[in-house]
Amino acid sequence: MTTPTVAPPPTPRAPAPARAGARGGLGRLLRLILVERVALLTVLLVVVVTWFWILGDNGYLIARYDSDYLAAALDTLVPLSILALAELIVMVSGRGGIDLSVGSIVSLAGMCFGFMVGHWGWPVAVAVPATILIGGLLGAVNGTLVAYLGFPALIATLATFYAFGSLALVSNQNAPISTKPVQDLHALTSAVDLSPQIPSFPLQVITFLVPVVLVVWLVLNRTTYGRKLYAIGTNDVAARFANINVRQTRFRAYVASGLLAGVAAVVIVAQFASARPDAGSVGNGMALPAITIAVLGGVVVAGGIGRVAGVVIAGLLVVWLNAGILLFFEGSDGSQFQLFALGALLVSSALLNAWTLRRGRSAG
Amino acid sequence: MTALVEPAALRSRRRPVARAVEGQELALVAVIAALWVALSFGTNTFLTAGNLSNIVFAVAPVALIGIGMTAIIVTGGIDVSVGSAAAVVMVVVAKLIRDSGVPMVEAIAVALVLGVLLGTVNGLLVALGGIHPIIVTFGTLNLFRFVALRLFENKQVTGVPSTLQWFGGGETGLSIGVPNAWWLAMAVAAVMWVYMRHWPTGRHWYAVGGDPAAARLAGIRVHRRLVAAYALTGLLVGLAACVLIGSGGLVQQNAGTGLELQVIAAVVIGGTSILGGRGTVLGTLLGALLVGTVTSAITLLGWRSELTELFIGVFILVAVGVDLLRERRRRSA
Amino acid sequence: MTVTDSDRADGSSATAPPILRLTGIEKRYGGVHALRGVGLEVAAGEVHALVGENGAGKSTLIKIVSGAEVADAGAIELDGVPQPFGSTTSALGAGIATVYQEPQLFGELTVAENMFLGRELRRHGAVDRGTQRSRVVELLERIGLDPELADVRVADLAVAEQQLVSIAKALSQEPRILILDEPSAILTDREIGTLFRAVRAMRESGVAVIYISHRLDELAQITDRVTVLRDGEVVASKPTTELSVRAVAELMVGHALQSDVVDRSIPDTPPVLAVAHLCRGGRFTDVSLHVRAGEVVALYGLVGSGAGNIARALYGVDPADSGTVTLAGKPVALHSPADAVRHGITMLPANRKVQGVFGSKSIAFNISSAHLRLLSRGGLWLDRSRERRVAEEFLTRIAIKAPSVATLVGNLSGGNQQKVVLARQLVERPRILLLEEPTQGVDVGAKDEIHRIVLELADAGSAIVVVSSDLPEVLQLADRVLVVRGGRLTAEFPRGAGQADVLAAAAGDDQTVEEVSLS
Repeated sequence: MTTPTVAPPPTPRAPAPARAGARGGLGRLLRLILVERVALLTVLLVVVVTWFWILGDNGYLIARYDSDYLAAALDTLVPLSILALAELIVMVSGRGGIDLSVGSIVSLAGMCFGFMVGHWGWPVAVAVPATILIGGLLGAVNGTLVAYLGFPALIATLATFYAFGSLALVSNQNAPISTKPVQDLHALTSAVDLSPQIPSFPLQVITFLVPVVLVVWLVLNRTTYGRKLYAIGTNDVAARFANINVRQTRFRAYVASGLLAGVAAVVIVAQFASARPDAGSVGNGMALPAITIAVLGGVVVAGGIGRVAGVVIAGLLVVWLNAGILLFFEGSDGSQFQLFALGALLVSSALLNAWTLRRGRSAG
Repeated sequence: MTALVEPAALRSRRRPVARAVEGQELALVAVIAALWVALSFGTNTFLTAGNLSNIVFAVAPVALIGIGMTAIIVTGGIDVSVGSAAAVVMVVVAKLIRDSGVPMVEAIAVALVLGVLLGTVNGLLVALGGIHPIIVTFGTLNLFRFVALRLFENKQVTGVPSTLQWFGGGETGLSIGVPNAWWLAMAVAAVMWVYMRHWPTGRHWYAVGGDPAAARLAGIRVHRRLVAAYALTGLLVGLAACVLIGSGGLVQQNAGTGLELQVIAAVVIGGTSILGGRGTVLGTLLGALLVGTVTSAITLLGWRSELTELFIGVFILVAVGVDLLRERRRRSA
Repeated sequence: MTVTDSDRADGSSATAPPILRLTGIEKRYGGVHALRGVGLEVAAGEVHALVGENGAGKSTLIKIVSGAEVADAGAIELDGVPQPFGSTTSALGAGIATVYQEPQLFGELTVAENMFLGRELRRHGAVDRGTQRSRVVELLERIGLDPELADVRVADLAVAEQQLVSIAKALSQEPRILILDEPSAILTDREIGTLFRAVRAMRESGVAVIYISHRLDELAQITDRVTVLRDGEVVASKPTTELSVRAVAELMVGHALQSDVVDRSIPDTPPVLAVAHLCRGGRFTDVSLHVRAGEVVALYGLVGSGAGNIARALYGVDPADSGTVTLAGKPVALHSPADAVRHGITMLPANRKVQGVFGSKSIAFNISSAHLRLLSRGGLWLDRSRERRVAEEFLTRIAIKAPSVATLVGNLSGGNQQKVVLARQLVERPRILLLEEPTQGVDVGAKDEIHRIVLELADAGSAIVVVSSDLPEVLQLADRVLVVRGGRLTAEFPRGAGQADVLAAAAGDDQTVEEVSLS
């Protein structure tokens, strides 16, 4: 899938000063929305939430689309956003970076978590870091294949998607682990009521999502590693000349992706009160929606470009849009229209990307 | 940058490209043959007509779509929407033959036309939209699945008549003891092999995958070649859908889920480079056959069926790893 | 149109009417006057050399002839008929084929397929491999390549063979005028023999060949006529027999005044960098040199001479196979850029776009990228305010023209991009700075600026190695010039050497080389 001939695209933020002056503030705002992915997503998010809110208030929905509902909907956001951040990191690392195996890592690390807590009676405080570490270890397999052995990322992670998924299924004879201690994990993801003013939201938002977002943001934007990552993704030959250890940096991106999948595994086991061997591979698997959200969030497949804010807002947009769609339809129709919304958003945002890039190029 | 070249380079003789088969294909034939020999001694059920016919029938849809996918990957693209596209075709055709009693020929025609249509959507978005193929097809994966689910109307299609039994896995789908689906896959592969090896436009796919800009300069209509590859894959998805409906019965709502990864695995094991510019349909056919053999072997040996995917993963790594090594050696030589 | 041997024997093509005639060709790029009324006549069956220094206008001229660029003024006539060229296809249709330095071939297709790509011979719709193959074999034999190569994948060929195959491909289009853009730059002597046979075969069949080369020693062997360009003007167009290598070199450089010769004195200290018997297979052999603190040493060589490879070996990007490098008396191993940087060696790479800039990132990002440890707290946290301060300091210190350090480098001019990459090498003052083609594709103002910075750095005590194929630049900067030819150091000149002497040494005038003894 990596078309090596595709030159790293110029930034989508390339200014076109000649045109900007002609129009007024409104034109500039419009341009900002079209060119700046985070701005576009924010506007979309506001539009979507307001629209469904109004529909709900006027009785067009089967239930009210209010702050309580929005807060409760966040439980699907947590694992999805964490995995989308994992895709952000590997996609930014460049050379066709992608991780198809995150779903299988979720399954396998989740089963390990299940064994540790459910069968071996490990304390949660030990089992959680151990699970995350296992995720990192599995990510290191991908990292070795991609960064040190030169496998195309799509192939390497397709292979480990199969291999890890198979090991997860075999580990407990295709059966879930839901012994008492595992069921008790559900407490990790209970709804919390802080005060009457704030709607109750799933605990894992503050215990897992917010810390993960914060850490990933800090690593990408405030550490030297983040700089190296963006550098190798933008131009890995130049990075080599700038004395950046390209292989090590890329390897660590895949390890980071594995670690995040490990975190998602913990969340999912707790959420379902059961370690299921197919947790990460049901339906089309978890990698596809995660990649979709990353791309929607403005991450460029060619590498070097992508922001945490874009991915998080894209995650919110998808989750709250889905939640609204679910209320709009009776029965399972809603889940079908969610697929439509996801596909349409992805294709149209990619078309928009291509269009702004082309305009930026012709203007520059 | 530029380099001085050893004078030896000019004198060295390289083996001209083998005309019929590539090294990877020979290796696959050897591996499959070895497996078959080992299994025929190791089990007393493997080398039976029934089992072999089951294997080739099971891999026929993957092989069929894989032939198109080979063309797409040769152009430097990928199509992850084939599973959803197959579901759309299956539900439409299944309902047509069940509810409207459409006869076989018309059903096949509908399947093919619909498949081409869906493939062309992908092709146009890739070629004209300027979007990365993986993103386009991730998008259409969702869109096609949506269309399929709407058409299912929340229930699986049951009681599908055996209009398409010629394609099916039953007695009626056999010719000379081999499933027609497999004959079909081999026939399509043969046609495509000739086309991709001997037809100018078939060769142009390789040029497009090698360097699209240079291909355009050489006078190749790159957009047209791209759309053709995706449309062809759509056509073969339509054909594969006929095989999957086969003798009729049941079409489930999750039809085709995960098919795309099986297809890509078969193509990659068959030696096609994911970076574009290199690959053959013969390899894809063998890749699919290897996957089918392993699946069957694991069942017959009484191993856990979940291990199949572990082997697929390992095969992918070995196939691509060998290729990487070979390229590296070639470059350093 | 046939040309008899007697036409050529006297070295003039006056008897044969020119097949191609250019008159008054003008071309400007912005403020740069690239071509000033250039006229050129090429006869059938003539090998016509086009020589000139970098920037003299050679490549602009061939782009105009091959239709890749349109002239601002002037006329192109083929057989006396004016041509309205504006596209490569129309030029190709008129029988003008061009072979560029980088072969435009497809690695996974065979040689035969590459030659007929996009215009395959067909039989019953399929590619007529048999006929194609026999045509290709004929062509390969004609230019002296092994006919068995017809069925070999291009990826399996050596770069030199690919170069020759692209010439064969151009021939398969049966051109009347063939333009070869530095075809010999990457070839070894043996391969050049093959090339010459091919060129002679073309001459015999009446093709007009425009041959661009920097290797002046080749001209006498292969060309009938030489046209010398300087600063966008034709300064001479004479039969080759009337010109010596030395004369061509003098015509190329003209009698331009040495631009304010820098007078620098280097303290006679022991060398900081001493290299002995450095080798890298196929690239350079037995390279020994030394550089003192504060000294600027230039490695001057034509494209493909191996000078750049020596610099890249010293930076550890493409390490040497054998030989020793000592820094201030201590032997060091340079296997990676990390090794080099640890010993205070940094490098400004040649290809700005590919090896230099992070185009979609800011100036600050680009400058800091090689100094993340320095610009961090504890090696982990980026010190962003310090990063910005450092970048801002460079913005003023080396006059990078940009609104702020947040400006994306991709939006800057070539010269300013190059300054950004240079700034990256200066954040921590290097003990040894390697520069490869430091001012390629850079405007004159930025070029002077970069030269000033380099000399300042030398004055501050850094040892500097400049690899350049830009002769005035080399003479402007270097305290000593080492000439690289065929991967070996072949001559050494002190500051103040004549341009023509150095050029002749690099371009292969062996007499000059003998006159100047290696110290």
